[in-house]
Amino acid sequence: MSSKATIYGFLFVGLAVTLALIVAPAVYAVSLSFYQMDSFVGAPKWVGFANYVAVLQAPEFWRALLNGAIYALGSIVFQVILGIGFALVLNEAFPGRNLVRGLSILPYLLPTVVVILTFKWMVDGGIGIVTKAVEAMGLPPINWFESPGAAMASTILVSVWMWTPFVTTCFLAALQTVPQSLYEAARVDGTTAVQRFFHITLPMLKPILTVVVLLRAIWMFNKFDVIWLLTRGGPVGATENLAILSYRHAFNLFDIGGGAAIATISFALLSVAVLIYFWVFPLEDD
Amino acid sequence: MAEIRLEQVRKAYGGVVAVHGVDLTIRDGEFVVFLGPSGCGKSTTLRMIAGLEEVTSGTIRIGARDVTELEPKDRNIAMVFQNYALYPHKTIYDNLAFGLRMRKMDPAEIDVRVKKAARMLGLEDFLARKPKQLSGGQMQRVALGRALVREPDVFLLDEPLSNLDAKLRVRMREEIARLHQDVGTSMVYVTHDQVEAMTLANRIVIMRDGHVQQIGAPLEVYDRPANLFVAGFIGSPEMNLIEGRIEGADFVAGNLRVALPPGVQASGEVVLGIRPEHLALTTEADGVAFTVRVIEQLGAQTLCVGEAGGERMRILVDRVDSWSPGQSVGVRFPAAKLHLFAKSSGQRVETAKP
Ligand SMILES: Nc1ncnc2c1ncn2[C@@H]1O[C@H](COP(=O)(O)OP(=O)(O)O)[C@@H](O)[C@H]1O
Ligand SMILES: [Mg+2]
Repeated sequence: MSSKATIYGFLFVGLAVTLALIVAPAVYAVSLSFYQMDSFVGAPKWVGFANYVAVLQAPEFWRALLNGAIYALGSIVFQVILGIGFALVLNEAFPGRNLVRGLSILPYLLPTVVVILTFKWMVDGGIGIVTKAVEAMGLPPINWFESPGAAMASTILVSVWMWTPFVTTCFLAALQTVPQSLYEAARVDGTTAVQRFFHITLPMLKPILTVVVLLRAIWMFNKFDVIWLLTRGGPVGATENLAILSYRHAFNLFDIGGGAAIATISFALLSVAVLIYFWVFPLEDD
Repeated sequence: MAEIRLEQVRKAYGGVVAVHGVDLTIRDGEFVVFLGPSGCGKSTTLRMIAGLEEVTSGTIRIGARDVTELEPKDRNIAMVFQNYALYPHKTIYDNLAFGLRMRKMDPAEIDVRVKKAARMLGLEDFLARKPKQLSGGQMQRVALGRALVREPDVFLLDEPLSNLDAKLRVRMREEIARLHQDVGTSMVYVTHDQVEAMTLANRIVIMRDGHVQQIGAPLEVYDRPANLFVAGFIGSPEMNLIEGRIEGADFVAGNLRVALPPGVQASGEVVLGIRPEHLALTTEADGVAFTVRVIEQLGAQTLCVGEAGGERMRILVDRVDSWSPGQSVGVRFPAAKLHLFAKSSGQRVETAKP
């Protein structure tokens, strides 16, 4: 009896905390999207779906949606490809492997601010090491944050650099569960190394790949800090995603209702995308 | 189909020698079993034949070809792994067909071979399933089938039955024996189980610490073990090994005196070997007094641990119900069944001309 009471006790506490810290603010945020409000102290005015209509009619919303998709897709593709590549290398036996494995996780441990500042120094127009290198090679200077394409590329570059270690670690763990004898059987069966990758490694990685892509997609689509610190969504909105747009509405344009509407739409879109994803790639194999 | 020849095949991992120069010729169609305790180099030898492990030195030939430097796929061998190594995400059909597809065989011919193998192994109903939907015995059959469809020069099997329970192991053992009879292809089979070796092999290669101890037909190794290690390893229950010395025409250890067959070329310190099943019951007046200590009833037979002349030994006789611990019976050491080993080298000393 007492153990049952304990379970219910924990359950109650857990639910209460979830309710107080996650559900309540979320509901509050969604409710804000139906009001007009220029500050958190003023009296909100009920406007129904007007915020949604306004948001959806603004081209900046669609641009932010597209930017977010490009950024998420671009960084995930590179993270996954590089992650699998590094994991394959780190899974091979070579001297100092454990040290390299340890070092390779480092970027993931660095605070985002540190990474961004370092990157900004590296590409600084006057003293940046990358700038100097580009100069030394006789190439024209790259305007990292001024040209829209380069700005998007740098947000993706930094994100890939920061989160590839996480993806690598996931894949490395998965690779270590693949029995060596499968590769040996395939060698006897007459496969090349490339065929072994596609017939054994990739299918064996599929469950973790499904989860990693999903997690990365959610995180990248909602990414705020990297983009804000690097470009503030600029130049002229070229790297602005829905998270930044929502923030800008709520805190810079004093349109809290509009910001909340954007966040709600973003949440809804992501939920639908995740559902579709699970439908196409069910976690349960076979 | 082809003969396989190992010439001075050696394997070292850094400074550790796993396999010392092995010389062995496996005849076409022969069933050869590598037998020895864990870590003695059986798998390493097999994997060198397969090409999964490079030789440190030596030559491996299959038929007329020197395959020492060839990749596994170019040796025309097929292998069955201890943990089956079935491709988990492929159906049984695809598992069987995979090796043939990789060799660009005509799909119609692949289908014929897969169906035939499935029929031989009773897998027809499982072809659409995935490996994890099968039992251990069925997975083992698929692993055999995957080797079978390839129609290789030789089958290499590394402890294929050790993941199965005892009953299934016996059944699969029979199936492998039948398979060998049906296809007639050479098989090289690794096991640490001497019963498997005795029942399956045409010839057994007994290994220890990377050295071949003896190569011979099962009954040959049983009848004339080449050294103390083989004597102790082959046969169940284990051979009685008694340390003593030669005195005239007798073997003497403590109070035990055993008459040796005439013409034994030995002297000094020796080890006498006699299998428990070869110690014969007789009257105490005729034989040696044996004091019964522990009795194990096996059903048809009785295994008894006791002492004779102060030496501990075991006897295995047709069932006796009446013994009790402490009692004394007479046993005889039939001269033709005695084995002698030099104590210093452990090597066999011939007691009788074969
Ligand atoms: N990859 C390896 N690296 C180092 N030593 C190994 C390796 N593989 C096997 N060995 C050693 O070689 C010896 C023989 O191993 P193995 O052939 O697997 O034995 P068995 O199959 O008879 O049990 C063992 O002592 C084992 O520790
Ligand atoms: Mg082994």
